[in-house]
Amino acid sequence: MEEVEHKISVLEGTKQALLEKNASWLRELSNQTIHCASVHQDSGSIVTAVLVYSLSKLVERKDFAKIKGWDKMVHDLSELFTLAIKAAMENEEEEYNKNMGRAREVLDSFGSIKKYVDDVMRKAAVNKAAKVYEHGISLGQAASLLGLTNWELAEYTGQGKTAENKYNETISEKERAKTALDFFEVKE
Amino acid sequence: MKALIFDSGPLINLSMNGLLFTLEELKKNFDGKFLITEAVKREVVDRPMNIDKFELGALRIQRLLTKGVLEMASSVGVDEAWLKNETEKLMIAANGAVRFKSIAIKIVSDAEMSCLALSSFLNKKAVENLIVIDERTTRMLVENAQNLERLMSEKLHRAVKVDLHNLKDLARHKFIRTSELVYVAYKAGVTQLEGKKVLDALVYATKFKGASISFSEINELRKM
Repeated sequence: MEEVEHKISVLEGTKQALLEKNASWLRELSNQTIHCASVHQDSGSIVTAVLVYSLSKLVERKDFAKIKGWDKMVHDLSELFTLAIKAAMENEEEEYNKNMGRAREVLDSFGSIKKYVDDVMRKAAVNKAAKVYEHGISLGQAASLLGLTNWELAEYTGQGKTAENKYNETISEKERAKTALDFFEVKE
Repeated sequence: MKALIFDSGPLINLSMNGLLFTLEELKKNFDGKFLITEAVKREVVDRPMNIDKFELGALRIQRLLTKGVLEMASSVGVDEAWLKNETEKLMIAANGAVRFKSIAIKIVSDAEMSCLALSSFLNKKAVENLIVIDERTTRMLVENAQNLERLMSEKLHRAVKVDLHNLKDLARHKFIRTSELVYVAYKAGVTQLEGKKVLDALVYATKFKGASISFSEINELRKM
Protein backbone atom coordinates (compact mmCIF):
# COMPACT_ATOMS: atom_id res chain seq x y z
CA MET A 1 0.00 0.00 0.00
CA GLU A 2 2.84 2.29 0.92
CA GLU A 3 4.42 1.73 -2.49
CA VAL A 4 1.14 2.44 -4.29
CA GLU A 5 0.68 5.68 -2.40
CA HIS A 6 4.24 6.59 -3.29
CA LYS A 7 3.69 5.95 -7.01
CA ILE A 8 0.51 8.05 -6.96
CA SER A 9 2.15 10.87 -5.07
CA VAL A 10 5.09 10.98 -7.51
CA LEU A 11 2.86 11.07 -10.58
CA GLU A 12 0.47 13.66 -9.10
CA GLY A 13 3.50 15.76 -8.19
CA THR A 14 4.96 15.34 -11.68
CA LYS A 15 1.75 16.55 -13.30
CA GLN A 16 1.71 19.65 -11.13
CA ALA A 17 5.45 20.33 -11.41
CA LEU A 18 5.21 20.11 -15.21
CA LEU A 19 2.40 22.65 -15.26
CA GLU A 20 4.45 24.95 -13.01
CA LYS A 21 7.63 24.23 -15.03
CA ASN A 22 9.36 23.50 -11.73
CA ALA A 23 12.63 21.68 -12.56
CA SER A 24 13.90 21.23 -9.00
CA TRP A 25 10.61 19.66 -7.88
CA LEU A 26 10.74 17.27 -10.85
CA ARG A 27 14.32 16.30 -9.97
CA GLU A 28 13.32 15.70 -6.36
CA LEU A 29 10.40 13.53 -7.48
CA SER A 30 12.74 11.57 -9.73
CA ASN A 31 15.12 10.96 -6.82
CA GLN A 32 12.22 9.69 -4.73
CA THR A 33 11.50 7.00 -7.33
CA ILE A 34 14.96 5.46 -6.88
CA HIS A 35 14.07 3.72 -3.62
CA CYS A 36 11.14 2.00 -5.30
CA ALA A 37 13.12 1.25 -8.47
CA SER A 38 15.99 -0.28 -6.49
CA VAL A 39 13.77 -2.55 -4.41
CA HIS A 40 11.14 -3.65 -6.94
CA GLN A 41 13.16 -3.23 -10.14
CA ASP A 42 9.91 -3.21 -12.14
CA SER A 43 9.75 -1.54 -15.53
CA GLY A 44 7.17 1.01 -14.31
CA SER A 45 9.43 2.37 -11.54
CA ILE A 46 12.46 2.42 -13.83
CA VAL A 47 10.61 4.27 -16.60
CA THR A 48 9.19 6.75 -14.08
CA ALA A 49 12.65 7.52 -12.69
CA VAL A 50 14.16 8.13 -16.15
CA LEU A 51 11.15 9.97 -17.54
CA VAL A 52 10.73 12.37 -14.63
CA TYR A 53 14.48 13.12 -14.54
CA SER A 54 14.48 13.77 -18.32
CA LEU A 55 11.55 16.14 -17.90
CA SER A 56 13.41 17.96 -15.12
CA LYS A 57 16.35 18.48 -17.48
CA LEU A 58 14.14 19.73 -20.32
CA VAL A 59 12.44 22.19 -17.97
CA GLU A 60 15.71 23.25 -16.32
CA ARG A 61 17.21 24.12 -19.71
CA LYS A 62 14.03 25.98 -20.65
CA ASP A 63 13.61 23.69 -23.63
CA PHE A 64 9.86 24.18 -23.42
CA ALA A 65 10.44 27.55 -25.10
CA LYS A 66 12.15 25.87 -28.05
CA ILE A 67 10.06 22.75 -28.39
CA LYS A 68 7.13 23.13 -30.70
CA GLY A 69 4.11 21.42 -29.17
CA TRP A 70 5.41 21.41 -25.59
CA ASP A 71 1.95 22.12 -24.17
CA LYS A 72 0.39 19.27 -26.11
CA MET A 73 3.15 16.96 -24.89
CA VAL A 74 2.49 17.98 -21.27
CA HIS A 75 -1.22 17.40 -21.83
CA ASP A 76 -0.61 13.91 -23.33
CA LEU A 77 1.77 12.98 -20.52
CA SER A 78 -0.65 14.22 -17.91
CA GLU A 79 -3.43 12.03 -19.35
CA LEU A 80 -1.19 8.98 -19.33
CA PHE A 81 -0.07 9.72 -15.74
CA THR A 82 -3.76 9.91 -14.75
CA LEU A 83 -4.35 6.49 -16.31
CA ALA A 84 -1.25 5.12 -14.56
CA ILE A 85 -2.49 6.50 -11.23
CA LYS A 86 -5.85 4.81 -11.78
CA ALA A 87 -4.07 1.53 -12.57
CA ALA A 88 -1.91 1.86 -9.45
CA MET A 89 -4.98 2.50 -7.28
CA GLU A 90 -6.58 -0.65 -8.69
CA ASN A 91 -3.34 -2.64 -8.25
CA GLU A 92 -3.20 -3.25 -12.01
CA GLU A 93 0.58 -3.40 -12.29
CA GLU A 94 0.62 -4.42 -15.93
CA GLU A 95 -1.67 -1.55 -16.84
CA TYR A 96 0.46 0.84 -14.79
CA ASN A 97 3.64 -0.29 -16.58
CA LYS A 98 1.89 -0.05 -19.96
CA ASN A 99 0.83 3.54 -19.37
CA MET A 100 4.26 4.55 -18.14
CA GLY A 101 5.76 2.89 -21.23
CA ARG A 102 3.39 4.90 -23.41
CA ALA A 103 4.40 8.06 -21.55
CA ARG A 104 8.01 7.32 -22.37
CA GLU A 105 7.05 6.84 -26.03
CA VAL A 106 5.43 10.30 -26.05
CA LEU A 107 8.77 11.83 -25.10
CA ASP A 108 10.76 9.41 -27.25
CA SER A 109 8.86 10.23 -30.42
CA PHE A 110 9.19 13.93 -30.12
CA GLY A 111 9.62 14.63 -33.83
CA SER A 112 11.32 18.01 -34.10
CA ILE A 113 14.10 17.37 -31.59
CA LYS A 114 14.07 13.59 -31.30
CA LYS A 115 17.84 13.25 -31.26
CA TYR A 116 18.21 15.82 -28.51
CA VAL A 117 15.48 14.24 -26.39
CA ASP A 118 17.06 10.79 -26.98
CA ASP A 119 20.33 12.18 -25.65
CA VAL A 120 18.63 13.66 -22.57
CA MET A 121 16.89 10.31 -21.91
CA ARG A 122 20.15 8.38 -22.31
CA LYS A 123 21.93 10.66 -19.85
CA ALA A 124 18.97 10.37 -17.48
CA ALA A 125 19.26 6.57 -17.65
CA VAL A 126 22.98 6.78 -16.76
CA ASN A 127 22.19 9.12 -13.86
CA LYS A 128 19.47 6.82 -12.54
CA ALA A 129 21.65 3.69 -12.91
CA ALA A 130 24.37 5.44 -10.90
CA LYS A 131 21.76 6.23 -8.21
CA VAL A 132 20.63 2.61 -8.13
CA TYR A 133 24.29 1.58 -7.73
CA GLU A 134 24.65 4.11 -4.92
CA HIS A 135 21.75 2.35 -3.17
CA GLY A 136 23.66 -0.94 -2.99
CA ILE A 137 22.75 -2.71 -6.23
CA SER A 138 25.82 -3.93 -8.16
CA LEU A 139 27.10 -1.98 -11.14
CA GLY A 140 26.29 -4.82 -13.55
CA GLN A 141 22.74 -5.19 -12.25
CA ALA A 142 22.18 -1.41 -12.28
CA ALA A 143 23.40 -1.21 -15.89
CA SER A 144 21.22 -4.12 -16.91
CA LEU A 145 18.12 -2.59 -15.28
CA LEU A 146 18.52 0.64 -17.20
CA GLY A 147 19.52 -1.06 -20.46
CA LEU A 148 23.06 0.36 -20.35
CA THR A 149 26.56 -1.07 -20.69
CA ASN A 150 29.07 -1.06 -17.84
CA TRP A 151 31.21 1.21 -20.05
CA GLU A 152 28.63 3.99 -19.86
CA LEU A 153 28.42 3.69 -16.09
CA ALA A 154 32.10 3.31 -15.17
CA GLU A 155 33.11 6.92 -15.71
CA TYR A 156 29.95 8.40 -14.26
CA THR A 157 30.08 6.37 -11.04
CA GLY A 158 33.80 7.06 -10.69
CA GLN A 159 33.09 10.77 -10.43
CA GLY A 160 30.38 10.38 -7.82
CA LYS A 161 30.66 9.96 -4.08
CA THR A 162 29.67 6.30 -3.87
CA ALA A 163 33.15 5.18 -2.83
CA GLU A 164 33.21 7.67 0.04
CA ASN A 165 30.37 5.96 1.93
CA LYS A 166 31.46 4.95 5.43
CA TYR A 167 30.41 1.32 4.87
CA ASN A 168 32.45 0.98 1.69
CA GLU A 169 35.71 0.01 3.39
CA THR A 170 35.43 -3.68 4.19
CA ILE A 171 39.08 -4.52 4.86
CA SER A 172 42.01 -2.18 5.39
CA GLU A 173 43.68 -0.76 2.31
CA LYS A 174 47.05 -1.84 3.66
CA GLU A 175 45.88 -5.45 3.83
CA ARG A 176 44.36 -5.38 0.34
CA ALA A 177 47.45 -3.80 -1.20
CA LYS A 178 49.69 -6.32 0.55
CA THR A 179 47.54 -9.17 -0.77
CA ALA A 180 48.07 -7.82 -4.28
CA LEU A 181 51.83 -7.41 -3.86
CA ASP A 182 52.25 -10.88 -2.34
CA PHE A 183 50.18 -12.44 -5.11
CA PHE A 184 52.51 -10.97 -7.74
CA GLU A 185 55.56 -11.54 -5.55
CA VAL A 186 56.48 -7.86 -5.84
CA LYS A 187 58.31 -6.25 -2.92
CA GLU A 188 56.83 -3.31 -0.99
CA MET B 1 50.04 -21.91 -10.91
CA LYS B 2 48.04 -18.84 -9.86
CA ALA B 3 45.10 -17.11 -11.48
CA LEU B 4 43.87 -13.55 -11.57
CA ILE B 5 40.16 -13.39 -12.42
CA PHE B 6 38.87 -10.18 -14.00
CA ASP B 7 35.40 -8.77 -13.66
CA SER B 8 34.40 -6.41 -16.48
CA GLY B 9 34.93 -3.15 -14.53
CA PRO B 10 38.73 -3.39 -14.17
CA LEU B 11 39.25 -4.17 -17.88
CA ILE B 12 37.02 -1.25 -18.83
CA ASN B 13 38.90 0.91 -16.34
CA LEU B 14 42.35 -0.03 -17.69
CA SER B 15 41.15 0.33 -21.28
CA MET B 16 39.69 3.79 -20.70
CA ASN B 17 42.87 4.90 -18.92
CA GLY B 18 45.18 3.53 -21.62
CA LEU B 19 46.74 1.17 -19.08
CA LEU B 20 46.02 -2.24 -20.59
CA PHE B 21 49.70 -2.53 -21.46
CA THR B 22 50.46 -2.93 -17.74
CA LEU B 23 48.72 -6.31 -17.89
CA GLU B 24 51.10 -7.42 -20.65
CA GLU B 25 54.04 -6.27 -18.55
CA LEU B 26 52.81 -7.88 -15.32
CA LYS B 27 52.09 -11.14 -17.12
CA LYS B 28 55.73 -11.46 -18.22
CA ASN B 29 56.88 -12.22 -14.69
CA PHE B 30 53.72 -13.88 -13.44
CA ASP B 31 53.51 -17.60 -12.94
CA GLY B 32 49.88 -18.01 -13.82
CA LYS B 33 46.95 -16.90 -15.92
CA PHE B 34 44.80 -13.82 -16.31
CA LEU B 35 41.27 -15.17 -16.78
CA ILE B 36 37.86 -13.96 -17.88
CA THR B 37 34.53 -15.76 -18.11
CA GLU B 38 32.15 -15.77 -21.08
CA ALA B 39 29.78 -13.45 -19.18
CA VAL B 40 32.59 -10.92 -18.65
CA LYS B 41 33.70 -11.22 -22.29
CA ARG B 42 30.15 -10.34 -23.37
CA GLU B 43 30.41 -7.09 -21.37
CA VAL B 44 33.94 -6.07 -22.33
CA VAL B 45 34.19 -7.27 -25.93
CA ASP B 46 31.07 -8.66 -27.60
CA ARG B 47 28.51 -6.00 -26.67
CA PRO B 48 30.69 -2.85 -26.87
CA MET B 49 32.05 -4.05 -30.23
CA ASN B 50 28.68 -3.01 -31.67
CA ILE B 51 28.58 0.41 -29.97
CA ASP B 52 30.53 3.12 -31.82
CA LYS B 53 31.62 4.91 -28.66
CA PHE B 54 33.16 1.82 -27.05
CA GLU B 55 34.33 -0.17 -30.07
CA LEU B 56 37.96 0.91 -29.71
CA GLY B 57 38.05 -0.07 -26.03
CA ALA B 58 36.59 -3.46 -26.89
CA LEU B 59 39.17 -3.96 -29.66
CA ARG B 60 41.98 -3.24 -27.23
CA ILE B 61 40.71 -5.91 -24.84
CA GLN B 62 40.12 -8.31 -27.73
CA ARG B 63 43.79 -7.84 -28.66
CA LEU B 64 44.84 -9.05 -25.20
CA LEU B 65 42.75 -12.18 -25.71
CA THR B 66 44.28 -12.76 -29.12
CA LYS B 67 47.77 -12.36 -27.69
CA GLY B 68 47.02 -14.77 -24.85
CA VAL B 69 47.58 -12.16 -22.13
CA LEU B 70 43.97 -12.69 -21.14
CA GLU B 71 42.57 -16.19 -21.40
CA MET B 72 39.11 -17.64 -21.25
CA ALA B 73 38.14 -19.63 -18.15
CA SER B 74 38.06 -22.80 -20.25
CA SER B 75 41.89 -22.62 -20.45
CA VAL B 76 42.06 -23.90 -16.86
CA GLY B 77 39.83 -26.85 -17.65
CA VAL B 78 36.58 -25.53 -16.32
CA ASP B 79 33.57 -26.85 -18.19
CA GLU B 80 31.52 -23.95 -19.58
CA ALA B 81 28.21 -25.67 -18.82
CA TRP B 82 29.31 -26.29 -15.22
CA LEU B 83 30.42 -22.66 -14.84
CA LYS B 84 27.13 -21.40 -16.25
CA ASN B 85 25.21 -23.63 -13.88
CA GLU B 86 27.26 -22.55 -10.84
CA THR B 87 26.88 -18.90 -11.86
CA GLU B 88 23.12 -19.37 -12.04
CA LYS B 89 23.08 -20.98 -8.58
CA LEU B 90 25.09 -18.08 -7.13
CA MET B 91 22.80 -15.56 -8.84
CA ILE B 92 19.75 -17.16 -7.27
CA ALA B 93 21.40 -17.32 -3.83
CA ALA B 94 22.81 -13.78 -3.89
CA ASN B 95 19.65 -12.26 -5.36
CA GLY B 96 17.64 -13.94 -2.63
CA ALA B 97 19.99 -12.95 0.18
CA VAL B 98 18.95 -9.31 0.54
CA ARG B 99 15.35 -8.75 1.54
CA PHE B 100 13.00 -5.95 2.40
CA LYS B 101 10.09 -7.67 4.18
CA SER B 102 9.29 -10.57 1.83
CA ILE B 103 10.72 -8.88 -1.26
CA ALA B 104 14.04 -10.26 -2.50
CA ILE B 105 16.15 -7.45 -3.97
CA LYS B 106 18.17 -8.39 -7.03
CA ILE B 107 21.61 -7.09 -6.24
CA VAL B 108 24.06 -8.78 -8.63
CA SER B 109 24.50 -9.67 -12.30
CA ASP B 110 25.73 -12.84 -13.96
CA ALA B 111 29.18 -11.47 -14.88
CA GLU B 112 29.97 -10.68 -11.24
CA MET B 113 28.74 -14.07 -10.04
CA SER B 114 30.62 -15.89 -12.79
CA CYS B 115 33.85 -14.54 -11.26
CA LEU B 116 32.91 -16.07 -7.90
CA ALA B 117 31.96 -19.36 -9.58
CA LEU B 118 35.33 -19.51 -11.34
CA SER B 119 37.14 -18.64 -8.11
CA SER B 120 35.29 -21.51 -6.35
CA PHE B 121 36.40 -23.91 -9.10
CA LEU B 122 40.02 -22.80 -8.70
CA ASN B 123 39.82 -23.01 -4.90
CA LYS B 124 38.69 -26.63 -5.19
CA LYS B 125 41.71 -27.31 -7.43
CA ALA B 126 43.94 -25.56 -4.85
CA VAL B 127 44.88 -22.88 -7.38
CA GLU B 128 45.67 -19.62 -5.61
CA ASN B 129 43.50 -16.90 -7.11
CA LEU B 130 42.35 -13.32 -6.71
CA ILE B 131 39.35 -11.56 -8.21
CA VAL B 132 39.86 -8.05 -9.58
CA ILE B 133 36.57 -6.20 -9.18
CA ASP B 134 35.88 -2.48 -9.03
CA GLU B 135 32.21 -2.38 -8.15
CA ARG B 136 31.54 -2.60 -4.45
CA THR B 137 28.36 -4.66 -3.99
CA THR B 138 29.86 -8.08 -4.73
CA ARG B 139 32.92 -7.22 -2.65
CA MET B 140 30.79 -6.07 0.29
CA LEU B 141 28.53 -9.11 0.10
CA VAL B 142 31.57 -11.35 0.50
CA GLU B 143 33.80 -9.31 2.81
CA ASN B 144 31.29 -7.62 5.08
CA ALA B 145 27.63 -8.35 4.38
CA GLN B 146 26.62 -6.46 7.51
CA ASN B 147 28.01 -3.28 5.97
CA LEU B 148 25.94 -3.93 2.86
CA GLU B 149 22.85 -4.40 5.03
CA ARG B 150 23.51 -1.09 6.83
CA LEU B 151 24.26 0.77 3.62
CA MET B 152 21.12 -0.44 1.85
CA SER B 153 18.91 0.15 4.89
CA GLU B 154 20.16 3.72 5.14
CA LYS B 155 19.96 4.48 1.44
CA LEU B 156 16.60 2.84 0.83
CA HIS B 157 15.06 4.10 4.10
CA ARG B 158 13.84 0.57 4.68
CA ALA B 159 14.93 -2.16 7.11
CA VAL B 160 16.82 -4.43 4.71
CA LYS B 161 18.06 -7.81 5.95
CA VAL B 162 20.92 -9.86 4.53
CA ASP B 163 20.90 -13.61 5.05
CA LEU B 164 23.86 -15.53 3.63
CA HIS B 165 22.82 -19.07 4.57
CA ASN B 166 22.49 -20.07 0.90
CA LEU B 167 25.91 -18.64 0.01
CA LYS B 168 28.62 -21.04 1.12
CA ASP B 169 32.38 -20.54 1.27
CA LEU B 170 32.15 -16.82 0.57
CA ALA B 171 35.11 -16.07 2.83
CA ARG B 172 37.45 -17.96 0.50
CA HIS B 173 37.12 -15.33 -2.24
CA LYS B 174 39.77 -12.62 -2.21
CA PHE B 175 39.41 -9.29 -3.97
CA ILE B 176 41.55 -6.46 -5.22
CA ARG B 177 40.56 -3.44 -7.31
CA THR B 178 42.17 -1.86 -10.36
CA SER B 179 43.73 0.61 -7.91
CA GLU B 180 45.73 -2.12 -6.16
CA LEU B 181 46.60 -3.67 -9.51
CA VAL B 182 48.17 -0.44 -10.80
CA TYR B 183 49.88 -0.11 -7.42
CA VAL B 184 51.54 -3.47 -8.10
CA ALA B 185 52.43 -2.30 -11.61
CA TYR B 186 53.96 0.85 -10.11
CA LYS B 187 55.97 -1.13 -7.55
CA ALA B 188 57.08 -3.54 -10.27
CA GLY B 189 58.25 -0.57 -12.36
CA VAL B 190 56.19 -1.41 -15.44
CA THR B 191 54.09 1.74 -15.83
CA GLN B 192 56.46 3.44 -18.31
CA LEU B 193 56.19 6.57 -16.17
CA GLU B 194 58.64 8.24 -13.82
CA GLY B 195 58.47 10.83 -11.06
CA LYS B 196 56.93 11.53 -7.69
CA LYS B 197 53.39 11.96 -8.96
CA VAL B 198 53.09 8.68 -10.82
CA LEU B 199 51.42 6.64 -8.06
CA ASP B 200 48.91 9.41 -7.29
CA ALA B 201 48.09 9.83 -10.95
CA LEU B 202 47.59 6.12 -11.52
CA VAL B 203 45.40 5.51 -8.50
CA TYR B 204 43.25 8.60 -9.01
CA ALA B 205 42.80 7.64 -12.66
CA THR B 206 41.43 4.25 -11.61
CA LYS B 207 39.11 5.85 -9.05
CA PHE B 208 37.64 8.21 -11.63
CA LYS B 209 36.96 5.35 -14.04
CA GLY B 210 34.94 3.33 -11.59
CA ALA B 211 37.18 1.68 -8.96
CA SER B 212 35.27 1.96 -5.70
CA ILE B 213 38.14 3.29 -3.60
CA SER B 214 37.76 6.20 -1.20
CA PHE B 215 40.12 9.17 -0.83
CA SER B 216 41.14 7.93 2.63
CA GLU B 217 42.02 4.50 1.20
CA ILE B 218 44.09 6.24 -1.48
CA ASN B 219 45.92 8.14 1.25
CA GLU B 220 46.63 4.85 3.00
CA LEU B 221 48.03 3.43 -0.21
CA ARG B 222 50.28 6.46 -0.72
CA LYS B 223 51.77 6.02 2.74
CA MET B 224 52.83 2.42 2.11
